[in-house]
Amino acid sequence: MTATSQHGFHPDAESLSAFSEHALGERECDEVLAHLAVCGRCRQVVALAREAADTDDKTAAVPPRKTVVPSAWWKQWRLVWVPTAVVAAFAVASISVYIERADRHGPDIKIAEQNPTPDATPPSTPTPTEQATVEPPAAAAPAPPPAHTTKHERSAAEEPMPAPAPPVVAAQMPAESRAQEPGAPAPGVTDREQFRREAPPMSHSEEQQSRPQLATGLHGSAYSQPASGTGEAEQKQAEEHRQEETETSRMRSFKAKAAPFAGHGANGAPPAGATETVTVTAAPAVEAQPAAPAEPAPMLGFKRVWDVSGLANPIQLPSGLASVSIASRGRLLLAIDKAGALFLSEDRSVTWERITTQWTGRAVEVHRQVAANGGMPTAPAAQNGTTGNSSPDAGAAPPPPVSFELSNDENQTWVSTDGRTWTPK
Amino acid sequence: MAPTESAASAAETGTPNGTGTPDCVPNRSLDRALAAELWQGCDAAGWGLTRGEFEQILVDAGTAQNFGLAEDSNATPATTKQQAAFFRSLCVADLALARACASGSERAWEHFIAVYRQPLTRAAIAITSSETLGRDLADQLYAELYGLNVREGQRRCPLLSYRGRGSLMGWLRTTLAQRHVDHYRRTRREEPIEELDAPAPNPLPQMPARELSLLELAIEEAVRSRDAEERYLLAAYYLDEQTLLEIGRVLGVHEATVSRRLHRTTDQIRKQILKNLQRCGMSRRQAQEAMGADSRDLEVNLKKLLQNSQSEAFQEQAAS
Repeated sequence: MTATSQHGFHPDAESLSAFSEHALGERECDEVLAHLAVCGRCRQVVALAREAADTDDKTAAVPPRKTVVPSAWWKQWRLVWVPTAVVAAFAVASISVYIERADRHGPDIKIAEQNPTPDATPPSTPTPTEQATVEPPAAAAPAPPPAHTTKHERSAAEEPMPAPAPPVVAAQMPAESRAQEPGAPAPGVTDREQFRREAPPMSHSEEQQSRPQLATGLHGSAYSQPASGTGEAEQKQAEEHRQEETETSRMRSFKAKAAPFAGHGANGAPPAGATETVTVTAAPAVEAQPAAPAEPAPMLGFKRVWDVSGLANPIQLPSGLASVSIASRGRLLLAIDKAGALFLSEDRSVTWERITTQWTGRAVEVHRQVAANGGMPTAPAAQNGTTGNSSPDAGAAPPPPVSFELSNDENQTWVSTDGRTWTPK
Repeated sequence: MAPTESAASAAETGTPNGTGTPDCVPNRSLDRALAAELWQGCDAAGWGLTRGEFEQILVDAGTAQNFGLAEDSNATPATTKQQAAFFRSLCVADLALARACASGSERAWEHFIAVYRQPLTRAAIAITSSETLGRDLADQLYAELYGLNVREGQRRCPLLSYRGRGSLMGWLRTTLAQRHVDHYRRTRREEPIEELDAPAPNPLPQMPARELSLLELAIEEAVRSRDAEERYLLAAYYLDEQTLLEIGRVLGVHEATVSRRLHRTTDQIRKQILKNLQRCGMSRRQAQEAMGADSRDLEVNLKKLLQNSQSEAFQEQAAS
């Protein structure tokens, strides 16, 4: 019997279906199984029917897809509320810390942003290196006349002052005069600055403690580097010199205070636009240090006033070029512009006189050199503006013999005592 | 058991037992309580069937299958318990629906289409492994079910052959599979004959012809001595190349069980062959050497051997 000739003998569809569903009794199941053992056709039928049933079961077993109903956005935001709050709190804290630090380090930026003086814009844009290593001269802010100290803001705005005048007026405003106008902040002065302006003056010790920090914050690494590079011996010498000049500094008048303070501000704050600054390498650090006890109390307040009013006018040399090196001794000020020309000013940079070239090459640096027999150390200046502290009429004792040194681009040096006559060293 | 109508009628006739109907007496009617229970369990009224039609359908189904008993048990008819057990084993709801559809009930057809049309198509696609062939097969069966075939002036609905032993869906699947297999077996001879390689020349037999013939006889006897389930395992696994999982699903056992049974069957057949060879006068060593004969030297057709082992039950069924 072949598979094709077995149609009459095959179990019907119901028996096969019941067999595959195990719905048959034992006797019927044995009969169907015995037939399946010999009938390939029925085995195939049962196998196909079983396969179809399995496929259908799998299809039916697949759970229907859940319709994803988008929940409301505010419900979804509940999940991210906590991390968002944490991030926001961290951001607020970071901003607060940044603002706090910016208040300490920020005069450079504020002066650059807030200086409205158009003539403060330098004729040329210095390179970034120059911006980092230069500072305005100490004498850039001449002592203001007493009449300007009362209405300094209005005067600065109305009167056509010389280039450094507006910032100088603001910077040199004494604490007494500011106390007379407590409710009249200078233009551009923020509440925080006004608050600091009205803050109690710092004590001498506080000033001494805060000064290095201020110097670092105001001048940045470019300014702190020379002081730190002088070495331990130089620091000791500077300390001795500071002690010697303490008495001299105490006897300085307000005018004497204002000048070094303006110089100090010039050190810390690049001029308007932050594009025209001056490298000061000649002023020794020892010159800068005595200024600290000279203006202990109003220092911070003055700094703020000076910051906002913009003591930004750089030294305007007759050549129109930016100065690259400045050295000073009292009212005497020497400056070298970018072209290598040397200029001399005896009235704190109000008028300039060009010095004829008595050296070879291009002058690149001028600094003050204390004579060795004077017992003063030879140290490069960390900042220039502090040279104004040593006003000639401020100290009674004769100043130590000081000379200027000029270096050219070939590292050759010339020496002068008055700034006009130079001799090779 | 609650008194039945047949029991009551039997009591009226004065049957000796208290119930009126002895257990050994065949009952061609349906117990009323059971009928009411089955009637409530299906929605036959919804398909337009009456209570009488429903009971008649059940009685006809039970009678046609002798209530699940052996065909030769007509001499000892099913008892009431056996009948009740048989009726409760039926898929009564499917049976009522099928008969209602066969009788042309619109509501039954609507329900049938809603419930079985898509599964029928999916089953046909699964059976044929083809979207097109599957849909054609399902449509063809659906047309037959609807009674488009007319024989001797009457519509012939295949649903009339459904008697509720399994589910209606299973019956539909099996019917689809039968149609597909029969169609394939009819049409496979119409396929073009592929080019056949020239058969390799038969190598000279290494064993004497007598030993080979003894081996063939031993194998045939060993296979024939296996029972139905073992022969089914051998045929399904080696001839049909079904997987153990597929065989296990058919038999309702785990595939590991199928594997164990298959391994045991082959071992027993091997031992039986050895015994048969030794019984024919071979020594054990000779029998083992004969077992190592090349199978290409043997003329044993396992497929033919299994097919010749026809079961007696269906032979009798065919004869009847």
